[in-house]
Amino acid sequence: MSGARLLRRVLVANRGEIAVRVIGTCRRLGIETVLTVSDADAGSLPARLADRVIRVGPAPAAASYLSVDAIAGAAVAAGADAVHPGYGFLSENARLARACAAAGVVFIGPDARTLEAAGDKLAAREHAIAAGLPVLPGGPVPSGGMEADEAAVAALADRIGYPVLVKAAGGGGGRGLRVVREPAGLRQAVGVASAEAGAAFGDPRVYLERYVERGRHIEVQLLGDGERVIHLGDRDCSVQRRYQKLIEEAPAPGLDDDLRERLHAAAVALGVHLRYRGAGTVEFLVDTARAEFYFLEINARIQVEHPVTEAITGLDIVAEQLAIAEGRPLRLAQGDVTFAGHAIECRINAEDPGRDFRPSPGTITRAVFPAASPPALAAGGGDGVRVDTHVQAGSTVPPYYDSLLAKVIARGGDRTGALAVLGGALGRCAIDGVTTNLAMQRGVIADAGFQAGGVTTGYLARWLTAAGGDGSRT
Amino acid sequence: MTEISLVDVSLRDGNQSLWGATGLRTAHIATIAPLLGRVGFRALDYSSSTAMGVSVRTHREDPWALLRLVRRAAPDTLLQFIGTGFRFISWERAHPEVIALVYTTLVRNGMDRFVVLDPTHDMDAARATAAIAKKAGAREVIGALTYTISAVHDDVFYAGIAAAYAACGDIDRAYIKDPAGILTPERARTLIPAVQAALRGKPLELHSHASLGLSPLSYLAAAALGVSVLQVGCGALGNGTSLPSAEELVANLRASGHTVDVDDRLLALVTGYFDRLAAAEGLPAGEHRGFDAAFMDHQLAGGVMSTTRRQLAELGLSDRFGALMAEIALVRAELGYPIMVTPFPQMVIGQALANLLIAGVPGGARYDRVPDQVIRYVLGTFGKPTAPVEPWVLDRVLSRPRAAELAGEPEPLDVAALRGRFGARISDEELLLRFGMPAAEVDAMIAAGPAVTRYNPDTMPVLRLLRALGERPPARELTVEKPGFRLSLRGPG
Repeated sequence: MSGARLLRRVLVANRGEIAVRVIGTCRRLGIETVLTVSDADAGSLPARLADRVIRVGPAPAAASYLSVDAIAGAAVAAGADAVHPGYGFLSENARLARACAAAGVVFIGPDARTLEAAGDKLAAREHAIAAGLPVLPGGPVPSGGMEADEAAVAALADRIGYPVLVKAAGGGGGRGLRVVREPAGLRQAVGVASAEAGAAFGDPRVYLERYVERGRHIEVQLLGDGERVIHLGDRDCSVQRRYQKLIEEAPAPGLDDDLRERLHAAAVALGVHLRYRGAGTVEFLVDTARAEFYFLEINARIQVEHPVTEAITGLDIVAEQLAIAEGRPLRLAQGDVTFAGHAIECRINAEDPGRDFRPSPGTITRAVFPAASPPALAAGGGDGVRVDTHVQAGSTVPPYYDSLLAKVIARGGDRTGALAVLGGALGRCAIDGVTTNLAMQRGVIADAGFQAGGVTTGYLARWLTAAGGDGSRT
Repeated sequence: MTEISLVDVSLRDGNQSLWGATGLRTAHIATIAPLLGRVGFRALDYSSSTAMGVSVRTHREDPWALLRLVRRAAPDTLLQFIGTGFRFISWERAHPEVIALVYTTLVRNGMDRFVVLDPTHDMDAARATAAIAKKAGAREVIGALTYTISAVHDDVFYAGIAAAYAACGDIDRAYIKDPAGILTPERARTLIPAVQAALRGKPLELHSHASLGLSPLSYLAAAALGVSVLQVGCGALGNGTSLPSAEELVANLRASGHTVDVDDRLLALVTGYFDRLAAAEGLPAGEHRGFDAAFMDHQLAGGVMSTTRRQLAELGLSDRFGALMAEIALVRAELGYPIMVTPFPQMVIGQALANLLIAGVPGGARYDRVPDQVIRYVLGTFGKPTAPVEPWVLDRVLSRPRAAELAGEPEPLDVAALRGRFGARISDEELLLRFGMPAAEVDAMIAAGPAVTRYNPDTMPVLRLLRALGERPPARELTVEKPGFRLSLRGPG
């Protein structure tokens, strides 16, 4: 009737909690799932939940989860109608999107052109400017780096004003990033950042941007069908350690209504400019004192922290991704999206805050999480707890991948309520066998600074210093 | 050989025929709707006045919210609403303006296929309802040919109705609706060609309840005659007094050389869900029924039958079931063979029950007590009876003072008057609920808040156990033991 192409079998090209998450929605919708696993994940929880499993290579991600040929080949071999790439790995990889298109398989995400525009930070910045979004003062370092034209780079940094941030054009996640506080450090920072970026993303290009010391990281969730774009509100992800988010919440606390509306409108404007199709997130750096904001980047995939948005909207973002991938127009108008309550998510990672957050792989001997109360979350009313995880007692945490074990999401009628629910929920979590950041997370959410709301991205580093490095002494 | 599409009736007619319309709640429906929407059904028989009323009254759930939820979950499948075009939830006749508002509100909330069903086969009424539905934005309007056996309902009679549907621009297709399941394969072989010819190319569907075990065979006869849409129920909501089971029909059709384009894996998931739900909730699953010649006389649809049994049991008269069935057949003949489709079964049964009860009173005679609905019927409120009412019954009914009162009943209120009574600011959805239902029931529904939308039948036994344990005096130890499994919980202290 709607010209949609019904998805009957989806290849889930990811691992961990997001694989469990995607499989859950597919199962609810009656869509068969085929999961790609590396040798290290053959016995994992998502592998047991999926209808079928395909091994795509050895444990190192480069040979399995990051292999475009292996993933596209698995999609064809499995007879999958579509590939859901989750987040990370190949989720924003234009080559995979093209390989899928060539094989007649739907890539659940934006088209290759948009992925390229979003994945290249410099290109994204140009699009943001074209869409009328404010960006931080900055510009590209000429290819060849400082050696090519040292004077030009130094002049660019001077024009921006110190401190400046050196950023990789081709990737994210904190790699290829350097803060430079004075001209003397510029040459080395550009060199290191470029080398790091080259190693991590195969793209040594870097650019300079003004470094804002006291900003908040606020992002806006978008849904688009290529014609129409709507937003699902904002999230505050300012509790970060070296650009890795640890706590996220929705809506961003203490934001002036006008500023919030401008953020939403800016994100939608960029989505419209890109004729965005799928779920995506526009990230902003927000200077709340001056009520100003700057475009940071656009993530063309589902985010780790999407559950806080789901908790206050009652929507299933993965289901919306699947509907868009089936070629349907958006099922919601902006007016259909309503917000109720407040939600906060804590990431529980297998890492040791006492040893500079060193990853802690191993075998989990005990994993206790609070019972979920999904009806409250789904219906958009009342208190609720949701736990998205892929670990149980007996699960192994391989050393090859990121250390996320679980996301504990709490929802309350307001932020105070959500904090109370979260405190109770974290109190009922117990994970043995690997070291986790659970104690640190309990400490942060009990901290008066966090409880007041609206912390900046420098908050966690200061808190860790005050708490004695790992937060365990709070 | 025919390419067959299926219309699934599990959610509406299945629930009504087998579970007294009260078995399925929002959580049950919302959980399975995405799968039902992907099986490949041409349409889902989805809601009715009765279903919406039960939603409010029994479950304290907003029926409009449920309509919207299912529309979102099943965007590719037509969602059918069945109504008579003269009432909404309450049994009183509604103003045409109110009916128009009902249909526009249904369309706005996601309904797109409407059954036009006039219980007396009054074609003027059918055309008027079809026009209202189309004007409201209905994608498809389907006219009912309600099948019954009587002195007047022969093939020529039905061909006449079909010709009227064929001539009506607002009616897109028709279906033979056999609520009692009394259409035999033999009759199907004469009736269907007569109707098909009169429809002049408009598609024909078949809807025949499995109450007597006839419809699985009638459906095969229909498919052989080129009827390309057959209506079915899934799993526990198929067979019995509901429609034939989807999975059995698909197998039989394919074995007979027809093609049926449904996703078998998803159909099995849907079937399994309703089976597990029935088991978890203690609801009876539809079973294969044997032939029962007495049915051919009383012609009660599945839902009516289960409701009647329940009412008799509540009156402590379960042993009088046979006598009531005989009285029903007699009353129906005396009232001019009304087709046993809503609201007439309720009316005939009400009169039959009154006659049965009065028989036990000294000096009492049949038709001493006459329900208002029967008086309205005889007065012609629901249209002209198909055959004349027995003259002595007509006299008994119309000579009552109540008949004069009802004949002088004021005209039903129009929308402006309803707004005046219930409030100018409430939504159309709430206005219509308040029109059709007692205020206390609508208030209770609103107070209950949004309905739960997830359900897992597999967790019900454990939840029931936990609830029962919670009601017991505190125990310090709980042990569950079965071969190869032992779970022991011990309290502190």
